[in-house]
Amino acid sequence: MTRHTEDDGDAGDANGTTETSGGRDTGGCGCGEPAPGVPEAGRDEQPSIFVPDEGEVPEADAIGARGSGSVDSGGAAGDPAAERAATDGGVESASSGSATGGTDSTELDPDAYDPVDVFPGGDLDLREGADSCYKCTSCDTSCPVAEVDDEFPGPKFQGPEQWRLKRKDDHDIDESITSCSNCMRCDDACPSSVPLSQMHNEARGQFVERQMEKLSVEYIRNRILANYHTSASLASMFPRTASFAMNFGPARWAMEKVMGIPKERDFPEFATETFREWWKARGGAKVENPDKRVAYFHGCYSNYNTPEVGKAMVRVYEHFGYEVMVPPQKCSGTPMFANGMLKDARRHAETNVENLVEAIGEGADVVASCTSCSMSLRQEYPELFDLHGIDDLAEHTFEALEYLRIHEDLEGELDAAGGLDDEREFAYHAPCHARNQGLSRQAVETFRDVDGVTMEDVGDSCSGISGTYGWKEEKYEKSMEIGAEMFEHMEDADGEVGMTECPTCAMQMEHGTGYEIEHPLQLLEQTLGA
Amino acid sequence: MDRQVDVVVVGGGSTGCGVVRDLARRGLDTVLVEKGNLTHGTTGRMHGLLHSGGRYAVSDQKSAEECIEENRVLRDIAAHCVEETGGLFVKRPEDSEEYFQEKLEGCRACDIPVEVIDGEEARRREPYLARDVEKAIALPDGAVDPFRLCVSNAADAREHGARIETHAPVTDVLVEDGEVVGVEIEHETGPGKRVHREPGTTEEIRARHVVNATGAWAGNVGEMAGVDVEVRPSKGVMTVMNTRQVDTVINRCRPKGDADIVVPHETACILGTTDEEVDDPEDYPEEDWEVDLMIETLSELVPALEDARTLRSFWGVRPLYEPPGTGTEDPTDITRDYFLLDHGDRDDLPGMTTIVGGKLTTYRMMAESISDHVCDTLGHEATCDTADAPLPGSESEARMAELMDEFGLRSPVARRSGQRLGSRADDVLDEYDPNPIVCNCESVTRAEVQDAIGEAGSDLNAVRLRTRASMGNCQGGFCTHRIAAELAEEYPEPVVRDAEDELYQERWKGQRHALWGEQLSQAMLNHLLHATTMNRDGDPANLDEEVDFGAFDDGTESPDAGGTAGEAGTAATDGGRASDDAAADGGRASDDAAADGGRANDDAAADGRRASDDATTDGGR
Ligand SMILES: Cc1cc2nc3c(=O)[nH]c(=O)nc-3n(C[C@H](O)[C@H](O)[C@H](O)COP(=O)(O)OP(=O)(O)OC[C@H]3O[C@@H](n4cnc5c(N)ncnc54)[C@H](O)[C@@H]3O)c2cc1C
Ligand code: SF4
Ligand code: SF4
Repeated sequence: MTRHTEDDGDAGDANGTTETSGGRDTGGCGCGEPAPGVPEAGRDEQPSIFVPDEGEVPEADAIGARGSGSVDSGGAAGDPAAERAATDGGVESASSGSATGGTDSTELDPDAYDPVDVFPGGDLDLREGADSCYKCTSCDTSCPVAEVDDEFPGPKFQGPEQWRLKRKDDHDIDESITSCSNCMRCDDACPSSVPLSQMHNEARGQFVERQMEKLSVEYIRNRILANYHTSASLASMFPRTASFAMNFGPARWAMEKVMGIPKERDFPEFATETFREWWKARGGAKVENPDKRVAYFHGCYSNYNTPEVGKAMVRVYEHFGYEVMVPPQKCSGTPMFANGMLKDARRHAETNVENLVEAIGEGADVVASCTSCSMSLRQEYPELFDLHGIDDLAEHTFEALEYLRIHEDLEGELDAAGGLDDEREFAYHAPCHARNQGLSRQAVETFRDVDGVTMEDVGDSCSGISGTYGWKEEKYEKSMEIGAEMFEHMEDADGEVGMTECPTCAMQMEHGTGYEIEHPLQLLEQTLGA
Repeated sequence: MDRQVDVVVVGGGSTGCGVVRDLARRGLDTVLVEKGNLTHGTTGRMHGLLHSGGRYAVSDQKSAEECIEENRVLRDIAAHCVEETGGLFVKRPEDSEEYFQEKLEGCRACDIPVEVIDGEEARRREPYLARDVEKAIALPDGAVDPFRLCVSNAADAREHGARIETHAPVTDVLVEDGEVVGVEIEHETGPGKRVHREPGTTEEIRARHVVNATGAWAGNVGEMAGVDVEVRPSKGVMTVMNTRQVDTVINRCRPKGDADIVVPHETACILGTTDEEVDDPEDYPEEDWEVDLMIETLSELVPALEDARTLRSFWGVRPLYEPPGTGTEDPTDITRDYFLLDHGDRDDLPGMTTIVGGKLTTYRMMAESISDHVCDTLGHEATCDTADAPLPGSESEARMAELMDEFGLRSPVARRSGQRLGSRADDVLDEYDPNPIVCNCESVTRAEVQDAIGEAGSDLNAVRLRTRASMGNCQGGFCTHRIAAELAEEYPEPVVRDAEDELYQERWKGQRHALWGEQLSQAMLNHLLHATTMNRDGDPANLDEEVDFGAFDDGTESPDAGGTAGEAGTAATDGGRASDDAAADGGRASDDAAADGGRANDDAAADGRRASDDATTDGGR
């Protein structure tokens, strides 16, 4: 199975870092031989446009300054089928198409396959997963969507029941799968390790692939939301205009009316300098240390919208003597999974896996500041794709605070740093995806004994935004209903600043309470004086 | 008082149901009597393979030819009972090449369409096949649902004037003047709407001819009439897997042997089987080694079976028949052909004919030949049309997609309902509100359950066979009470409770042979739900004494007052705990209550069980 798709080429050309591993002596000045993780050319080496499988992702400016102008551009990108067949191992040649772009069964090596991979067209067969379900219904009672949405049958139905009822040849997935927000709380609730979110993701992928009208506004809207990366990289070329234009005037109106994006939502502001721009201007890493290396997976959001999180990460890690690498990367796929765009996710995964595995080869562990990104690399990647090195990557991936808590004496350092002079109080919300990685208490525990910091956990409810879920007009009210408990508890907490690891939870927290929201890394930077 | 009918058919298996349909369609006044519910005997305990004939293509070509012929007929007239899965005879390295070729030749000779494919291709079609499978013969095996098949036959017979009497064992065969003139049946108590007479009474049904279609029990009925019928019952085990590892029938291509076939059936896969002669078709040992053998041996073909979840195992007895004096040693060598024994010719006892042997796949052909014989004997002129007339439910393609929208069903639910009900889906879903889903595992709608109750009465096992309700992973743990609740409108409470117990027991019976791994967890959870949450073994409604409600803490008095302790020791300690918890939980408890409140109501509508569970726990709080 080849790992290259058509847009890999762009990634390589644009930054030239993928083939460097020997020339690290130049010390990250960005000239001459490039150092690992130091972008070389271009404003940002991530190509903002890729060649999609069926029609282009409608350009981001459909939701930007030009309003709805390109809604009908769905099929405009020409048919790339010819090259695809050559570069993609022929996966697409099966007439049924493939939701995941998985292994092509016609080239099956009888000694090296995993039965779940070999359904025609690369679909996963997850009927086996139903064996573990004993119907206890814990998943249903912990699903935030089922709690507010009577029409949603809940994870037990979406997962083990629906899969058990499936036949090899029927691809009929119930539409309700699109109501699942992919918060993955059901995964966490299941006492029997039923791979619920994997089942949801695959079902959603198959649904979107086969049953969703490809030119429908809903599809296009979801594709845009899923490909936030693309929109964001365009928007950040004119950050101020974009931030303004997306939130005001006729464009905003068009977005709601035409695209189904709720008018209540403000688009996040785009930073005037992305994290990667900052990193490049800074000349890359300030610390070199072959024994302590991390590859930073910043994700789209800290790159385009909250570069201060990324900067905090770099400073904190350098404080502890780590050499930080920033390999070329694309979207982690989280929003794509949630919208059933598995092909898009897979393409991005190819780039990510390739570059991160290379960094691992250079002795780095992978660290993400967004809990959904780390979740994706750790769990969803190996569950859904069969890329070379993907299990290795999963094993070497950590959340940023988690990693420090494992490897450094954070408590001692914080103690030595002596705390804050000006008292600060936070209302902390643990993202669902943090919960799934066992990280829901880490921020509270880290800062518990730090002088001048009070942090209150606002409870285990879901924020309700679940990535792109809350960005859909038809889901907006449900999203706010789910979030109500969190808002209420935030108001009750003493702190007037919110804190969370997840950027979309942060949006929702801000939206519901008007609080400013910080990332634990920012507080760590502050308390350590890093 | 008892009027005379033309024919009494004894035995409500596939054969009996086929005969009564055929005779009724030919215009004869016919009664079917069955001691249990339909498919109570072997038919309800068979493998579900619609033979292509491939299995007999070497050893018994006559049977093979009949199979392929009837295979084609059933696809046509019983489309909603048949799943066209296709079948494979796979060859492993240790299986003989010579036999493979013989099989191939045999199939061709019997006009069974075959295709030889290599191992790669076989694995492409069935990815879970073992990697060392070398090649395979593909042929038109299929899966058939015996319950639906029998019920459709009986329903058609009833439409043509027949009377179908279940829970009515024949206790005697009436012989007068050296001639069989009818049967005596006993109307059993017990659930079932078809109790036409007073339970516990007997009834004589006089008939011009009696057809003994009691399969493995044919000897018993023969005995009642004073004739010998040498049935050699032979048992076979079948093990039900939770999911379908294969979507094609997988046969092992070797001469004969135990554990050589996997049949995908509805949501499950069924492994089979053994072949062991037994003395009594009612009472034989169900042995663990048989189950182990299924999983071990068939894992050679489909390795995933080794670790997959088994739901249950069950046994059936083959009604093998041997003409007197044949003396075959090994039951697997006994012919699978069917025999028509005219007791007039054979034993000088006119008025009765026995039909034994054969297979479910050829039931219609057997029925046709015995109906021909009966008509001959009675001098009734009529032609058989059962090969062309579709069974109720198979008249037209169900409009699946439309149904889904029309009745607000989720697509897999609609698909399953549609497949089960066939062309009746429209009527059934029209008559009752399909939602909520009563059995989640098998996606059985309320409409289907109500429809089945309309047909089968309060016998929930018969309802189960018609709908598949309670046949999924939980094996009834989460739905027997919901299914029983559907009876409550029409039947008195004790009947409902008995029916519920009966179904729950029946489900437990089969699970005893799958008590390891996941199914053991399931059984434990089921047990605790029923024993503790529902308190089924101490349910006040089932006890004789009145409940002393005064002994319970009604929660109105302040729990921190030690003063209430005097009433009952346990109440005091519990009371203490409760208040601790309440204190510790503080505001949270009330938050939860608020959040839960809304949910409980939603659930009450969507899910009867949950609401009652909640009620129980809430009461305890
Ligand atoms: C393990 C196994 C697997 C099989 N697999 C297949 C297969 O895959 N494909 C296939 O085509 N065939 C298969 N068969 C064969 C097939 O199941 C039988 O040939 C067929 O079901 C026989 O039907 P029947 O109506 O003759 O007998 P039965 O179904 O046994 O019917 C006889 C009925 O008579 C009733 N009865 C008995 N005594 C009395 C009485 N005194 N009064 C009233 N009623 C009475 C019984 O309750 C019973 O319901 C299998 C058989 C076995 C044992
Ligand atoms: S992922 Fe979240 S929204 Fe989706 S079914 Fe599970 S708990 Fe519900
Ligand atoms: S929590 Fe797990 S075992 Fe329980 S019903 Fe849900 S999927 Fe099944």
